[in-house]
Amino acid sequence: MSVQAMIDEWYPVGIAAQLDAAGRNTMLMGEPIVVAKDANGQAKVTGGNGRLLPVKMRYGHVWTSLGEPKKDLFPIPEADQPGRRFVDVGVVRVRCSPLRAVENFLDVAHFPFVHTDILGAEPHTEVQNYKVEIREDVDEVWATQVKFYQPQAAKSASGGITTEYMYRVAAPTCTVLYKTCPPRPSEWDVITLFVQPLTEELCDVWPWMALFDDETSMTDLIHFQQTIFLQDRSILENQIPRLLPLDPGMEIPTRADLTSIAYRRWLKRHNYTYGAQLVAQ
Amino acid sequence: MHTLTTGPWTPVALSADLPVGTVIPARIPAGSIALWRSESGRLSASADRCPHRGMSLSHGFVRGENLSCIYHGWSYARSGQCIRIPAHPGLEPPETIRAKTFTVEEVGGVIWVATDEATTAPPAFEGLAPLRSMTTTAGIAAIEAAAGAKASAEGLVVPVGDTLCLLVSTRDDGQTLIHVLVTGAASAEARIGASRAAESLRRAAEAVQKENAA
Amino acid sequence: MKLYDYILSPSCYKVRLMAALTGVKLDLRPVDFHPGLEHRSPELLALNPAGSIPILEEGDLILTESSAILVYLAAQAAPEWLAGTKPEEAARVQQWLSFSGRLTANLGGARLHEMLLRPGDIGALQAQGIAALRELEAGLVEQNLRGERFLAADRPTVADIACFPYVALAPDGGVSLDPYPAIRLWSRALRSLDGFIEMPGIHRLHELKAEPTVEESKA
Ligand SMILES: N[C@H](CCC(=O)N[C@@H](CS)C(=O)NCC(=O)O)C(=O)O
Ligand code: FES
Ligand SMILES: [Fe+2]
Repeated sequence: MSVQAMIDEWYPVGIAAQLDAAGRNTMLMGEPIVVAKDANGQAKVTGGNGRLLPVKMRYGHVWTSLGEPKKDLFPIPEADQPGRRFVDVGVVRVRCSPLRAVENFLDVAHFPFVHTDILGAEPHTEVQNYKVEIREDVDEVWATQVKFYQPQAAKSASGGITTEYMYRVAAPTCTVLYKTCPPRPSEWDVITLFVQPLTEELCDVWPWMALFDDETSMTDLIHFQQTIFLQDRSILENQIPRLLPLDPGMEIPTRADLTSIAYRRWLKRHNYTYGAQLVAQ
Repeated sequence: MHTLTTGPWTPVALSADLPVGTVIPARIPAGSIALWRSESGRLSASADRCPHRGMSLSHGFVRGENLSCIYHGWSYARSGQCIRIPAHPGLEPPETIRAKTFTVEEVGGVIWVATDEATTAPPAFEGLAPLRSMTTTAGIAAIEAAAGAKASAEGLVVPVGDTLCLLVSTRDDGQTLIHVLVTGAASAEARIGASRAAESLRRAAEAVQKENAA
Repeated sequence: MKLYDYILSPSCYKVRLMAALTGVKLDLRPVDFHPGLEHRSPELLALNPAGSIPILEEGDLILTESSAILVYLAAQAAPEWLAGTKPEEAARVQQWLSFSGRLTANLGGARLHEMLLRPGDIGALQAQGIAALRELEAGLVEQNLRGERFLAADRPTVADIACFPYVALAPDGGVSLDPYPAIRLWSRALRSLDGFIEMPGIHRLHELKAEPTVEESKA
């Protein structure tokens, strides 16, 4: 376990629209922090010893870092694209490693069993070959051409379709997926999972979406995503160990898990091990 | 510390609480297990951890003669061998994918699991029938104090003045598992009475435990 | 019949479940409970000054207690879900309906705390939740000894639906269900009923469907 390599990253710590002067006490990698709105209406994040932490407001959320970020927050160009609706799904706390929360998001094989009749259904369980790479120029993990049959791919979907996904790990605890957009076949819907690591075994998850969908009400969009994530939560809280094992002998991946394999390899390479278990116990 | 001489055997659950086609969580000194009964009635015990991605197998489901994991649906036979990976329908899972299994025996309505090689049979309690299981934060010493009786070598506590017996075992999480047993001939009314008496005993034992801790 | 509903609310799920089991059609009006706190908006407070959901609205009838809503649905569509004429059965239904209010406070409170970051004394909520589960377990053991599989009778009633959701979702609030075999069997019996529907956190009993034959794609 090492905080060091991950300390200079940006992490989500609140919904921008819900900032208030009173402030909210929360935690980042074991350190108590306060997220508040200052007299000028700007976000202000205070660390454990009263020091002011760097702040960014992006993608509907407040971001901060315990260290000195060397990079800007990762880009999501779709966040500036006209016509999209931006959805703050709301925080959900999960008793699991922040890295486990990200890894679960990168996986389609669980859809028929965990998101039954929504994102998947037996007998359509096969995961066909797809492409995975670590893009060196941007230092991100990408999986493309991931196809899966879905009974109800989105709130706006009216029947079963084969959905195509692209997955992207943009930061150790932040991941973005792009999926077939039923009302606009030429575009991708964007769904993200921004994870705030409270400790190595506890995280606050802030899903956020940028969608083309003019029909569905905002509340329905929120509820659709909350439904999906709460189905995952009961899985995430029951994986053993709670930490993500990076020891290859500990868990057995198959071809369907190539994204997870690449993610773990990338974490290891960068020493992103806050929330990881290095040696099997 | 109380030492019981049930050898490698731990009484983990009552037969009636594990109908065919179901899986339940249980604990043995080696850790958590998934205890399951196939459609044809065969009992199995495996480590409560799916070799794929660590999901607890006791959250899974039993179809036919196999146990499946709820996360990605991998199925395991009684032997622990993985026999199906739904993401790869054409693939025969390699023999190296297997869940660790344990020996299970059912005697007189009590299910026992062995941690090591079992050379003896688990104990049988003549004339007693299982009523219900409960867990308690009280240790065996506190239960003995509340019952006014010592546990036998097999873990049987016969409380003074009651018509019930408690089969006790300490779990790896520090809690005590109690199987309440009554004489086979007891009427429904007597059984309800015994269940209430067991609740009172547990309350008393937990009070003793709290007092001793204070 | 209009239900002000939230997909993650166990209390709203009671109503959706009852309606599904009895074939009643509900007109769902989703409420942005989290993160929007819409249940405390002027529009919703006008319907229910207590600021809670579910709210059932039909004509000028407004019901804001889930137990009352269950009784209303059953009385209209499926009276067999109400208590029969036996005094102890009628009393048991009332007993467990009242008890379900405690579950909302303790197990429900623990769940809101652990999942949606609601303030609260988590240790006390979980301890009260465990005490309630022990009572329920004892009650079910006794029912089984009487030859009855459900809380008030040998058939499910509104009392079972009132208690089931917060119990099934106890692990969301960090309260384990592992120590309760009778609750596990009861929960399974309810989940196996024709017309049963899930909510997030209560997954499908996949074994109720035979294992499908899956063809490998020729791609
Ligand atoms: N009147 C009770 C209220 C149920 C309840 O507590 N509902 C929760 C949602 S699950 C609620 O509205 N809570 C209001 C709040 O926490 O602010 C019932 O119908 O059983
Ligand atoms: S964790 Fe069990 S099948 Fe994937
Ligand atoms: Fe999922």
